Amino acid sequence: MGIERRIIQREWRLVMARPGEVLKPMWFLLLVISLIPLALSPDSTLLAEIGPAMIWVATLLAILLNMDHLFKDDYSEGVLEQWLFWSRPFAWCVAIKLLTHWLFYILPLILMTPIVGLMLSIPADVIAVLLVTLLVATPALTCFSGLGGALTLGAARSGVLGVLVMLPLFVPVVILAAGVITRTTDGAGIGPLLALLAAFSLGAAILMPLAIAAAIRLNIGGST
Amino acid sequence: MTLELKHLHCERDDRVLFRDISQCVERGEILRVAGPNGAGKTTLLRMIAGLFEVDGEVLWESAPLSAMPESVLYIGHAPQVTRELTVQANLQFLSGATMEAVRHALQAVGLRGYDDSLVRELSQGQKRRVALARLWLESRPLWILDEPYTALDVEMVAVLDQRIKQHIHAQGVCLLTTHQPPQQLDYRTLELGHGH
Repeated sequence: MGIERRIIQREWRLVMARPGEVLKPMWFLLLVISLIPLALSPDSTLLAEIGPAMIWVATLLAILLNMDHLFKDDYSEGVLEQWLFWSRPFAWCVAIKLLTHWLFYILPLILMTPIVGLMLSIPADVIAVLLVTLLVATPALTCFSGLGGALTLGAARSGVLGVLVMLPLFVPVVILAAGVITRTTDGAGIGPLLALLAAFSLGAAILMPLAIAAAIRLNIGGST
Repeated sequence: MTLELKHLHCERDDRVLFRDISQCVERGEILRVAGPNGAGKTTLLRMIAGLFEVDGEVLWESAPLSAMPESVLYIGHAPQVTRELTVQANLQFLSGATMEAVRHALQAVGLRGYDDSLVRELSQGQKRRVALARLWLESRPLWILDEPYTALDVEMVAVLDQRIKQHIHAQGVCLLTTHQPPQQLDYRTLELGHGH
Protein backbone atom coordinates (compact mmCIF):
# COMPACT_ATOMS: atom_id res chain seq x y z
CA MET A 1 0.00 0.00 0.00
CA GLY A 2 1.29 3.45 -0.91
CA ILE A 3 2.50 5.71 1.86
CA GLU A 4 0.01 8.41 0.92
CA ARG A 5 -2.88 5.99 1.26
CA ARG A 6 -1.51 4.71 4.55
CA ILE A 7 -1.44 8.21 6.04
CA ILE A 8 -4.97 8.99 4.86
CA GLN A 9 -6.32 5.64 6.03
CA ARG A 10 -4.74 6.00 9.44
CA GLU A 11 -6.10 9.52 9.84
CA TRP A 12 -9.57 8.30 8.95
CA ARG A 13 -9.28 5.52 11.52
CA LEU A 14 -8.24 8.07 14.13
CA VAL A 15 -11.27 10.19 13.28
CA MET A 16 -13.46 7.13 13.75
CA ALA A 17 -11.72 6.25 17.00
CA ARG A 18 -12.19 9.71 18.50
CA PRO A 19 -15.00 11.55 16.70
CA GLY A 20 -15.05 14.08 19.53
CA GLU A 21 -11.94 15.69 18.08
CA VAL A 22 -13.86 16.53 14.91
CA LEU A 23 -17.01 17.59 16.75
CA LYS A 24 -15.24 19.76 19.34
CA PRO A 25 -14.40 22.70 17.01
CA MET A 26 -17.83 22.45 15.35
CA TRP A 27 -19.46 22.60 18.75
CA PHE A 28 -17.28 25.57 19.65
CA LEU A 29 -18.29 27.47 16.48
CA LEU A 30 -21.97 26.78 17.10
CA LEU A 31 -21.68 27.91 20.70
CA VAL A 32 -19.90 31.17 19.91
CA ILE A 33 -22.32 32.07 17.13
CA SER A 34 -25.41 31.30 19.16
CA LEU A 35 -24.13 33.34 22.11
CA ILE A 36 -23.48 36.48 20.07
CA PRO A 37 -27.15 37.50 19.57
CA LEU A 38 -27.74 36.89 23.26
CA ALA A 39 -24.82 39.00 24.37
CA LEU A 40 -25.07 41.73 21.74
CA SER A 41 -28.61 42.35 20.51
CA PRO A 42 -31.12 40.31 18.54
CA ASP A 43 -31.34 43.13 15.96
CA SER A 44 -31.08 41.28 12.66
CA THR A 45 -29.60 44.12 10.58
CA LEU A 46 -26.78 44.54 13.07
CA LEU A 47 -26.19 40.78 13.19
CA ALA A 48 -26.19 40.52 9.42
CA GLU A 49 -23.60 43.27 9.29
CA ILE A 50 -21.13 41.90 11.82
CA GLY A 51 -22.07 38.23 11.27
CA PRO A 52 -19.55 37.34 8.56
CA ALA A 53 -16.66 38.75 10.59
CA MET A 54 -17.87 36.87 13.68
CA ILE A 55 -18.06 33.59 11.78
CA TRP A 56 -14.62 34.16 10.33
CA VAL A 57 -13.01 34.83 13.70
CA ALA A 58 -14.86 31.95 15.36
CA THR A 59 -13.75 29.58 12.59
CA LEU A 60 -10.16 30.76 12.94
CA LEU A 61 -10.24 30.12 16.68
CA ALA A 62 -11.86 26.73 16.13
CA ILE A 63 -9.00 25.80 13.81
CA LEU A 64 -6.50 26.83 16.47
CA LEU A 65 -8.26 24.54 18.94
CA ASN A 66 -7.03 21.58 16.94
CA MET A 67 -3.55 22.87 16.30
CA ASP A 68 -1.93 21.08 19.20
CA HIS A 69 -3.44 17.85 18.16
CA LEU A 70 -1.94 17.93 14.66
CA PHE A 71 1.54 16.55 15.38
CA LYS A 72 1.88 16.39 19.16
CA ASP A 73 0.46 12.91 19.85
CA ASP A 74 2.38 11.29 17.02
CA TYR A 75 5.52 13.05 18.18
CA SER A 76 5.32 12.00 21.80
CA GLU A 77 4.41 8.42 20.94
CA GLY A 78 7.44 8.17 18.66
CA VAL A 79 5.35 7.52 15.57
CA LEU A 80 6.37 10.72 13.81
CA GLU A 81 10.07 9.85 13.86
CA GLN A 82 9.26 6.64 11.98
CA TRP A 83 8.15 8.76 9.03
CA LEU A 84 11.80 9.74 8.59
CA PHE A 85 12.54 6.15 7.56
CA TRP A 86 10.06 6.10 4.73
CA SER A 87 11.00 6.14 1.10
CA ARG A 88 9.14 9.40 0.50
CA PRO A 89 10.49 12.84 1.45
CA PHE A 90 9.41 13.76 4.95
CA ALA A 91 7.96 17.08 3.77
CA TRP A 92 5.74 15.23 1.33
CA CYS A 93 4.35 13.04 4.13
CA VAL A 94 3.76 16.19 6.17
CA ALA A 95 1.88 17.71 3.23
CA ILE A 96 -0.36 14.64 3.00
CA LYS A 97 -0.99 14.82 6.72
CA LEU A 98 -1.97 18.51 6.44
CA LEU A 99 -4.28 17.72 3.55
CA THR A 100 -6.07 14.98 5.49
CA HIS A 101 -6.28 17.27 8.50
CA TRP A 102 -7.96 19.90 6.36
CA LEU A 103 -10.35 17.33 4.87
CA PHE A 104 -11.36 15.63 8.09
CA TYR A 105 -11.23 18.41 10.67
CA ILE A 106 -11.60 21.73 8.88
CA LEU A 107 -13.88 21.03 5.94
CA PRO A 108 -16.77 19.93 8.23
CA LEU A 109 -16.29 23.21 10.06
CA ILE A 110 -16.56 25.22 6.85
CA LEU A 111 -19.63 23.29 5.78
CA MET A 112 -21.36 24.55 8.92
CA THR A 113 -21.05 28.16 7.70
CA PRO A 114 -24.44 28.28 5.92
CA ILE A 115 -26.21 27.07 9.06
CA VAL A 116 -24.55 29.52 11.44
CA GLY A 117 -24.88 32.21 8.75
CA LEU A 118 -28.64 31.77 8.74
CA MET A 119 -28.65 31.95 12.53
CA LEU A 120 -27.21 35.47 12.22
CA SER A 121 -29.62 36.33 9.35
CA ILE A 122 -26.81 36.97 6.88
CA PRO A 123 -28.08 37.32 3.28
CA ALA A 124 -27.58 34.27 1.07
CA ASP A 125 -25.17 35.94 -1.36
CA VAL A 126 -22.91 37.05 1.49
CA ILE A 127 -22.99 33.54 2.97
CA ALA A 128 -21.88 32.19 -0.40
CA VAL A 129 -18.94 34.58 -0.52
CA LEU A 130 -18.10 33.81 3.10
CA LEU A 131 -18.04 30.14 2.24
CA VAL A 132 -15.72 30.77 -0.70
CA THR A 133 -13.30 32.88 1.38
CA LEU A 134 -13.16 30.16 4.01
CA LEU A 135 -12.56 27.45 1.43
CA VAL A 136 -9.80 29.48 -0.18
CA ALA A 137 -8.14 30.73 3.01
CA THR A 138 -8.28 27.72 5.32
CA PRO A 139 -5.51 25.77 3.56
CA ALA A 140 -3.17 28.63 4.49
CA LEU A 141 -4.50 28.71 8.05
CA THR A 142 -4.05 24.94 8.36
CA CYS A 143 -0.46 25.19 7.19
CA PHE A 144 0.32 28.07 9.55
CA SER A 145 -1.23 26.35 12.54
CA GLY A 146 0.73 23.24 11.56
CA LEU A 147 3.94 25.26 11.71
CA GLY A 148 2.94 26.67 15.09
CA GLY A 149 2.32 23.16 16.35
CA ALA A 150 5.56 21.81 14.88
CA LEU A 151 7.74 24.59 16.29
CA THR A 152 6.41 24.07 19.81
CA LEU A 153 6.48 20.25 19.85
CA GLY A 154 9.10 20.16 22.55
CA ALA A 155 7.38 22.68 24.83
CA ALA A 156 5.23 21.31 27.65
CA ARG A 157 2.40 23.83 27.33
CA SER A 158 2.61 24.67 23.68
CA GLY A 159 -0.92 25.86 22.86
CA VAL A 160 -0.59 29.55 23.69
CA LEU A 161 2.99 29.79 22.50
CA GLY A 162 2.17 28.30 19.11
CA VAL A 163 -0.71 30.69 18.60
CA LEU A 164 1.46 33.68 19.53
CA VAL A 165 4.19 32.62 17.14
CA MET A 166 1.74 32.16 14.29
CA LEU A 167 -0.41 35.25 14.87
CA PRO A 168 1.54 37.48 12.45
CA LEU A 169 0.95 34.93 9.69
CA PHE A 170 -2.78 34.77 10.33
CA VAL A 171 -3.24 38.54 10.20
CA PRO A 172 -2.85 39.11 6.42
CA VAL A 173 -5.20 36.20 5.68
CA VAL A 174 -7.86 37.63 7.97
CA ILE A 175 -7.46 41.13 6.52
CA LEU A 176 -7.76 39.85 2.95
CA ALA A 177 -10.82 37.75 3.77
CA ALA A 178 -12.46 40.66 5.58
CA GLY A 179 -11.73 42.81 2.52
CA VAL A 180 -13.49 40.32 0.25
CA ILE A 181 -16.56 40.28 2.48
CA THR A 182 -16.77 44.08 2.84
CA ARG A 183 -16.50 44.48 -0.91
CA THR A 184 -19.34 42.00 -1.42
CA THR A 185 -21.63 43.90 0.91
CA ASP A 186 -20.62 47.13 -0.85
CA GLY A 187 -21.31 45.58 -4.22
CA ALA A 188 -17.71 45.90 -5.50
CA GLY A 189 -15.71 43.28 -7.42
CA ILE A 190 -13.98 40.63 -5.32
CA GLY A 191 -11.94 38.84 -7.98
CA PRO A 192 -8.48 40.33 -7.32
CA LEU A 193 -8.67 40.01 -3.53
CA LEU A 194 -9.89 36.45 -3.78
CA ALA A 195 -7.06 35.66 -6.18
CA LEU A 196 -4.59 37.13 -3.70
CA LEU A 197 -6.06 34.97 -0.95
CA ALA A 198 -5.78 31.91 -3.18
CA ALA A 199 -2.17 32.79 -3.93
CA PHE A 200 -1.53 32.99 -0.20
CA SER A 201 -2.95 29.51 0.31
CA LEU A 202 -1.08 28.08 -2.62
CA GLY A 203 2.20 29.55 -1.45
CA ALA A 204 1.61 28.24 2.06
CA ALA A 205 0.73 24.78 0.75
CA ILE A 206 4.01 24.66 -1.15
CA LEU A 207 6.38 26.22 1.37
CA MET A 208 4.91 25.32 4.74
CA PRO A 209 5.33 21.52 4.52
CA LEU A 210 9.07 22.11 4.04
CA ALA A 211 9.21 24.47 7.02
CA ILE A 212 7.10 22.14 9.17
CA ALA A 213 9.22 19.14 8.24
CA ALA A 214 12.36 21.07 9.20
CA ALA A 215 10.80 22.14 12.50
CA ILE A 216 9.79 18.59 13.36
CA ARG A 217 13.25 17.27 12.48
CA LEU A 218 14.74 19.87 14.75
CA ASN A 219 12.51 18.74 17.62
CA ILE A 220 13.21 15.07 17.00
CA GLY A 221 16.94 15.82 16.98
CA GLY A 222 16.64 17.56 20.32
CA SER A 223 15.02 14.62 22.09
CA THR A 224 16.54 11.36 23.16
CA MET B 1 32.46 -3.04 4.73
CA THR B 2 28.78 -2.42 5.12
CA LEU B 3 28.19 0.02 7.92
CA GLU B 4 31.02 2.42 8.56
CA LEU B 5 31.08 4.91 11.38
CA LYS B 6 33.75 7.54 11.04
CA HIS B 7 34.78 9.91 13.81
CA LEU B 8 31.35 10.25 15.40
CA HIS B 9 31.26 12.92 18.00
CA CYS B 10 28.59 14.23 20.29
CA GLU B 11 28.45 17.02 22.80
CA ARG B 12 25.40 17.85 24.86
CA ASP B 13 25.23 20.89 27.10
CA ASP B 14 29.03 21.27 27.01
CA ARG B 15 29.50 17.67 28.07
CA VAL B 16 31.22 15.31 25.67
CA LEU B 17 29.12 12.13 25.40
CA PHE B 18 31.43 10.36 23.00
CA ARG B 19 34.21 11.42 20.71
CA ASP B 20 35.90 9.97 17.70
CA ILE B 21 33.97 6.74 17.44
CA SER B 22 35.04 4.79 14.37
CA GLN B 23 33.73 1.31 13.68
CA CYS B 24 33.05 -1.02 10.79
CA VAL B 25 30.19 -3.45 10.97
CA GLU B 26 30.06 -6.15 8.32
CA ARG B 27 26.98 -7.87 6.99
CA GLY B 28 25.95 -10.72 9.26
CA GLU B 29 27.32 -8.98 12.33
CA ILE B 30 25.79 -7.74 15.57
CA LEU B 31 27.24 -4.72 17.33
CA ARG B 32 26.15 -4.21 20.90
CA VAL B 33 26.57 -0.71 22.28
CA ALA B 34 27.14 -0.93 26.01
CA GLY B 35 27.85 1.54 28.76
CA PRO B 36 26.42 2.99 31.98
CA ASN B 37 23.25 5.11 32.04
CA GLY B 38 23.85 8.46 30.40
CA ALA B 39 26.86 7.27 28.45
CA GLY B 40 25.18 8.23 25.17
CA LYS B 41 24.04 4.84 23.87
CA THR B 42 20.67 6.08 22.69
CA THR B 43 22.23 9.25 21.32
CA LEU B 44 24.73 7.22 19.31
CA LEU B 45 22.03 4.94 17.89
CA ARG B 46 19.80 7.89 17.02
CA MET B 47 22.70 9.62 15.36
CA ILE B 48 23.46 6.55 13.26
CA ALA B 49 19.77 6.21 12.39
CA GLY B 50 19.86 9.78 11.12
CA LEU B 51 17.32 11.15 13.58
CA PHE B 52 19.56 14.10 14.08
CA GLU B 53 22.48 15.68 12.42
CA VAL B 54 25.59 13.56 12.29
CA ASP B 55 28.86 14.99 13.53
CA GLY B 56 31.20 12.72 11.61
CA GLU B 57 30.22 10.23 8.94
CA VAL B 58 27.85 7.28 8.78
CA LEU B 59 28.32 5.28 5.60
CA TRP B 60 26.23 2.40 4.33
CA GLU B 61 27.91 0.56 1.48
CA SER B 62 30.22 3.54 1.05
CA ALA B 63 27.42 6.10 0.64
CA PRO B 64 25.95 8.32 3.37
CA LEU B 65 23.22 6.43 5.21
CA SER B 66 21.15 9.60 5.55
CA ALA B 67 20.45 9.39 1.82
CA MET B 68 18.75 5.98 2.23
CA PRO B 69 16.66 6.09 5.36
CA GLU B 70 14.57 3.22 4.00
CA SER B 71 17.45 0.82 4.75
CA VAL B 72 16.99 1.37 8.48
CA LEU B 73 14.54 -0.21 10.86
CA TYR B 74 14.79 1.79 14.06
CA ILE B 75 12.98 0.74 17.21
CA GLY B 76 13.58 3.13 20.07
CA HIS B 77 12.37 3.76 23.60
CA ALA B 78 9.10 5.39 22.59
CA PRO B 79 6.13 3.04 22.19
CA GLN B 80 5.92 3.83 18.44
CA VAL B 81 2.29 2.85 18.43
CA THR B 82 -0.85 4.95 18.63
CA ARG B 83 -2.98 4.26 21.67
CA GLU B 84 -6.32 4.90 20.03
CA LEU B 85 -5.79 2.56 17.08
CA THR B 86 -5.98 -1.21 16.87
CA VAL B 87 -2.87 -3.36 16.74
CA GLN B 88 -3.69 -4.21 13.15
CA ALA B 89 -4.12 -0.54 12.11
CA ASN B 90 -0.87 0.47 13.80
CA LEU B 91 1.20 -2.18 12.07
CA GLN B 92 -0.44 -1.68 8.69
CA PHE B 93 0.34 2.01 8.92
CA LEU B 94 3.96 1.60 10.00
CA SER B 95 4.93 -1.25 7.70
CA GLY B 96 2.42 -1.08 4.86
CA ALA B 97 1.93 -4.83 5.18
CA THR B 98 -1.21 -6.74 4.30
CA MET B 99 -3.64 -7.92 6.96
CA GLU B 100 -2.48 -11.48 6.39
CA ALA B 101 1.17 -10.58 6.96
CA VAL B 102 0.28 -8.65 10.10
CA ARG B 103 -1.60 -11.67 11.43
CA HIS B 104 1.45 -13.89 10.89
CA ALA B 105 3.74 -11.38 12.59
CA LEU B 106 1.42 -11.13 15.57
CA GLN B 107 1.43 -14.89 15.86
CA ALA B 108 5.22 -14.81 15.87
CA VAL B 109 5.33 -12.35 18.77
CA GLY B 110 2.69 -14.23 20.73
CA LEU B 111 -0.14 -11.79 20.17
CA ARG B 112 -2.38 -14.06 18.16
CA GLY B 113 -5.98 -12.87 18.22
CA TYR B 114 -5.05 -9.36 19.30
CA ASP B 115 -5.43 -7.87 15.80
CA ASP B 116 -8.46 -5.82 16.67
CA SER B 117 -7.53 -4.88 20.21
CA LEU B 118 -6.84 -1.24 20.88
CA VAL B 119 -3.23 -0.61 21.81
CA ARG B 120 -4.24 1.30 24.94
CA GLU B 121 -5.80 -1.89 26.30
CA LEU B 122 -2.50 -3.77 26.13
CA SER B 123 0.13 -4.14 28.82
CA GLN B 124 3.60 -2.58 28.53
CA GLY B 125 5.14 -5.85 27.41
CA GLN B 126 2.43 -6.40 24.85
CA LYS B 127 2.89 -2.89 23.45
CA ARG B 128 6.58 -3.63 23.11
CA ARG B 129 5.72 -6.83 21.26
CA VAL B 130 3.55 -4.86 18.83
CA ALA B 131 6.45 -2.53 18.08
CA LEU B 132 8.79 -5.50 17.66
CA ALA B 133 6.35 -7.26 15.32
CA ARG B 134 7.72 -4.94 12.66
CA LEU B 135 10.88 -7.05 12.64
CA TRP B 136 8.76 -9.74 10.99
CA LEU B 137 7.00 -7.37 8.62
CA GLU B 138 9.64 -5.19 7.04
CA SER B 139 12.68 -6.28 5.11
CA ARG B 140 15.23 -3.63 5.89
CA PRO B 141 18.89 -4.59 6.09
CA LEU B 142 20.01 -2.43 9.01
CA TRP B 143 18.28 -2.94 12.34
CA ILE B 144 18.87 -0.40 15.07
CA LEU B 145 17.26 -1.60 18.28
CA ASP B 146 17.44 0.51 21.42
CA GLU B 147 16.90 -1.66 24.49
CA PRO B 148 14.74 -4.18 22.62
CA TYR B 149 14.49 -6.50 25.63
CA THR B 150 12.82 -3.96 27.93
CA ALA B 151 9.53 -5.22 29.39
CA LEU B 152 9.78 -8.59 27.63
CA ASP B 153 9.33 -11.94 29.35
CA VAL B 154 11.84 -14.80 29.01
CA GLU B 155 9.86 -16.47 26.29
CA MET B 156 9.71 -13.35 24.12
CA VAL B 157 13.41 -12.66 24.68
CA ALA B 158 14.14 -16.08 23.16
CA VAL B 159 11.81 -15.40 20.23
CA LEU B 160 13.47 -12.05 19.60
CA ASP B 161 16.97 -13.56 19.77
CA GLN B 162 15.84 -16.15 17.25
CA ARG B 163 14.58 -13.46 14.91
CA ILE B 164 17.80 -11.46 15.21
CA LYS B 165 19.76 -14.62 14.37
CA GLN B 166 17.63 -15.15 11.25
CA HIS B 167 18.28 -11.57 10.20
CA ILE B 168 22.01 -12.00 10.69
CA HIS B 169 21.93 -15.24 8.69
CA ALA B 170 20.22 -13.35 5.90
CA GLN B 171 23.25 -11.01 5.80
CA GLY B 172 21.57 -8.27 7.77
CA VAL B 173 23.24 -5.95 10.24
CA CYS B 174 22.02 -5.39 13.78
CA LEU B 175 22.98 -2.64 16.21
CA LEU B 176 21.53 -2.87 19.68
CA THR B 177 21.86 -1.64 23.21
CA THR B 178 21.14 -3.84 26.18
CA HIS B 179 22.03 -3.75 29.82
CA GLN B 180 22.11 -7.51 30.25
CA PRO B 181 24.44 -9.16 27.72
CA PRO B 182 22.31 -11.24 25.31
CA GLN B 183 22.83 -14.93 26.08
CA GLN B 184 22.15 -16.51 22.75
CA LEU B 185 23.77 -14.12 20.32
CA ASP B 186 27.28 -13.71 19.03
CA TYR B 187 28.11 -10.08 19.08
CA ARG B 188 30.85 -7.52 19.29
CA THR B 189 30.68 -4.88 22.00
CA LEU B 190 31.33 -1.18 21.69
CA GLU B 191 31.86 0.19 25.16
CA LEU B 192 30.89 3.81 25.72
CA GLY B 193 31.77 6.04 28.60
CA HIS B 194 35.34 4.82 29.11
CA GLY B 195 37.76 7.18 27.49
CA HIS B 196 35.60 7.80 24.46
